[in-house]
Amino acid sequence: MYIYDEIDQKLVEQRVAQFKEQTHRFLNGKLSEDDFRVLRLQNGLYIQRHAPMLRVAIPYGMLVSKQLRMLAYVARRWDKGYGHFSTRQNIQFNWPRLEDVPEILAKLATVQMHAIQTSGNCIRNTTTDHFAGVAPDEIINPLVWCEIIRQWSMLHPEFAFLPRKFKIAVSGASTDRAAVGVHDIGLQAVEENGVLGFTVWVGGGLGRTPIVGKLIKPFVAWHDLLTYLQATLRVYNLYGRRDNKYKARIKILVKDLTPEVFAQQVNEQWQLIKDGPDKVTEEYVQYVSNRFEWPKYDLTLSEIESDVILKSAENPKFERWLRTNVHDHKVKGYASVTVSLKASGIPPGDITADQMDALADMSETYGFGELRVSHEQNLILADVRRKSLYSLWLELDMLNLATPNIGLITNIISCPGGDYCSLANAVSIPVAAAIQQRFDDLDFVYEIGELDLNLSGCVNACGHHHVGHIGILGVDKAGEEWYQITIGGRQNGANSQGVIPALIRGGGAAIGRVIGPSFAREQIPDVIYRLIQTYLRLRDSDAERFIDVVERLGIEPFKHDVYSDPLLAKSIINTAVLDA
Amino acid sequence: MLNDSLKLIRNGRLEIDAWRLFDADSSALPPDENYWMVKLETWKSHREQLSLRKFPVAILVPSDADSTDIIFKHGSDANLEKIAFIAIDFPSYTDGRGFSLAQILRKQYGWKGELRAMGDVLIDIIHYLARCGFDSFLIKEGHDAELALEAFETFTVHYQRSYPQPTKVTT
Repeated sequence: MYIYDEIDQKLVEQRVAQFKEQTHRFLNGKLSEDDFRVLRLQNGLYIQRHAPMLRVAIPYGMLVSKQLRMLAYVARRWDKGYGHFSTRQNIQFNWPRLEDVPEILAKLATVQMHAIQTSGNCIRNTTTDHFAGVAPDEIINPLVWCEIIRQWSMLHPEFAFLPRKFKIAVSGASTDRAAVGVHDIGLQAVEENGVLGFTVWVGGGLGRTPIVGKLIKPFVAWHDLLTYLQATLRVYNLYGRRDNKYKARIKILVKDLTPEVFAQQVNEQWQLIKDGPDKVTEEYVQYVSNRFEWPKYDLTLSEIESDVILKSAENPKFERWLRTNVHDHKVKGYASVTVSLKASGIPPGDITADQMDALADMSETYGFGELRVSHEQNLILADVRRKSLYSLWLELDMLNLATPNIGLITNIISCPGGDYCSLANAVSIPVAAAIQQRFDDLDFVYEIGELDLNLSGCVNACGHHHVGHIGILGVDKAGEEWYQITIGGRQNGANSQGVIPALIRGGGAAIGRVIGPSFAREQIPDVIYRLIQTYLRLRDSDAERFIDVVERLGIEPFKHDVYSDPLLAKSIINTAVLDA
Repeated sequence: MLNDSLKLIRNGRLEIDAWRLFDADSSALPPDENYWMVKLETWKSHREQLSLRKFPVAILVPSDADSTDIIFKHGSDANLEKIAFIAIDFPSYTDGRGFSLAQILRKQYGWKGELRAMGDVLIDIIHYLARCGFDSFLIKEGHDAELALEAFETFTVHYQRSYPQPTKVTT
């Protein structure tokens, strides 16, 4: 974990003091509702359906045990005993009172946490690979670079009021697990002539106008990263549209100018500042890196533990969990373990205070007290000794945190939806629950294999439905909830043939295609089931995944099967009228 | 109350703002007397004439000004020596273009004179404004200018090296 120095600590404390004073002015009528709105949003505070919602940043998904215990404390003292992990490496509390928020933020500051820029039209929490720092396929350690970006973006005086929100994602590994192709800026680590740097993608994003980012610069050397970001943000700040919030994201600017002209404008600005004071120095990188407390691994462990093999032969449940929830680690004898927050019947990403405390303990018992938060809304125990996997599994299983479904259909990514969010057109959580229930046979879930199912309650796409292999979008038609299905979306790995590998990584995202008219809520599990039947019929082997079949055959066979199914026909007539 | 008219922060003190915006169409010019501010468009079409005045005008730059415009260009013949100060308008405090315009004016054109923030200037953006190069601030109606004076020290540390820590008093 990165350990704050005096400056880091002072900044978050001064930010808390500032927000306390702003809240005070607001409550005393000296700051209008309108003026206060943006200020509170930039401190993570929304006014939601039931109460304010506080979104706390977990910068680049890195979390340590004492921070998780503090989140549990916040959940108990100011919320209803639970929290919700979002799809952007943040945690959300749905029930705090506005008056209490300054105190909550002050408490969080004591464990080096904050809610700065978790909302509003500013540079948001920078996200990365949920195996950052422990993945075996890393080119660079993205934690260090994300911290450098965190510092640069935090309270940036020039970019506090952008045309719209701005999200940066960093991938340090050869497999992009950070979905760099669907962020305002996506950075993919690369090496060129022995120099480390980043490929820069700009203008990707989901929401109303889903689009994959454009390659703006194939290589920016590490020392130029911040000035290049600064130049990019400056062009966007000056020329991004401010007249229409639906056209205000940087993707529209890149599209309107064309990627070539946009890149040229960025380059002009960059030339003027690239050798200025914000150029990254080796000493600075070293300083940031040294502020991290890196785990002290035991380098004498063996990779294969006979005990674990024995246990897995005896216990199919454990064996399944080993296959889906345990991941390779860069150090021999260790593994990363995904703690599934996708148990059937629990809203995806929800976690109780008791579970948080227990996980904090486990992260210390089985590792070095470090965890990660994934954009798939799960937690990761970063450094588990392989020989302890069985006892860890027993503990997790007791807490309902060992659902062996990572990478599978029931590991649903979902926004909170209409039950909580005032933007939503439709509910999400009950739909996710119904799908999980429909697919409650684990053997069948295994047979289906790797599949990302993502669900959003409105076009804002917080559930990333566009990049789900199957995506579900809640829409409002004449005051009723309907759900549109897309297939073929993915966060990485598309178009990987015949292109220079280094350049396709970030561009490997693809936006799913709508299969046809929407469905009623209660039909969704059957529609998904139908899609799966089609897939199983068409795949050429177990190794061909759902997404591969869609890529090979297109959406037509799926569409045909769904819409010619008499069971699903009734709503098609209804929605055909509504869709017209 | 007398204090209510002290809305301008300049040189670390509160002052009364005496400047008026000359709002007629750009073909007319204000009389040669003190405290006239003209729009950027007006100044651009009458640069020669305006530079001959006994009482220099100030220029009001709109937030949607083109940053490639003459006044932002280093080495241009913008002839800014003959103006009192440059003001950048914030139609809403969330319109962040003025922050970048200020940076370009300071760092690229090299404007050393007074740079004023006008419009929806809240206490809460003073710190950012000052770091981006503004050195005078006309505080929005209904906001306590005394409190705004304290905003320079809201943060005493920062990360971004090319944007200095603000000080109330500028030289």
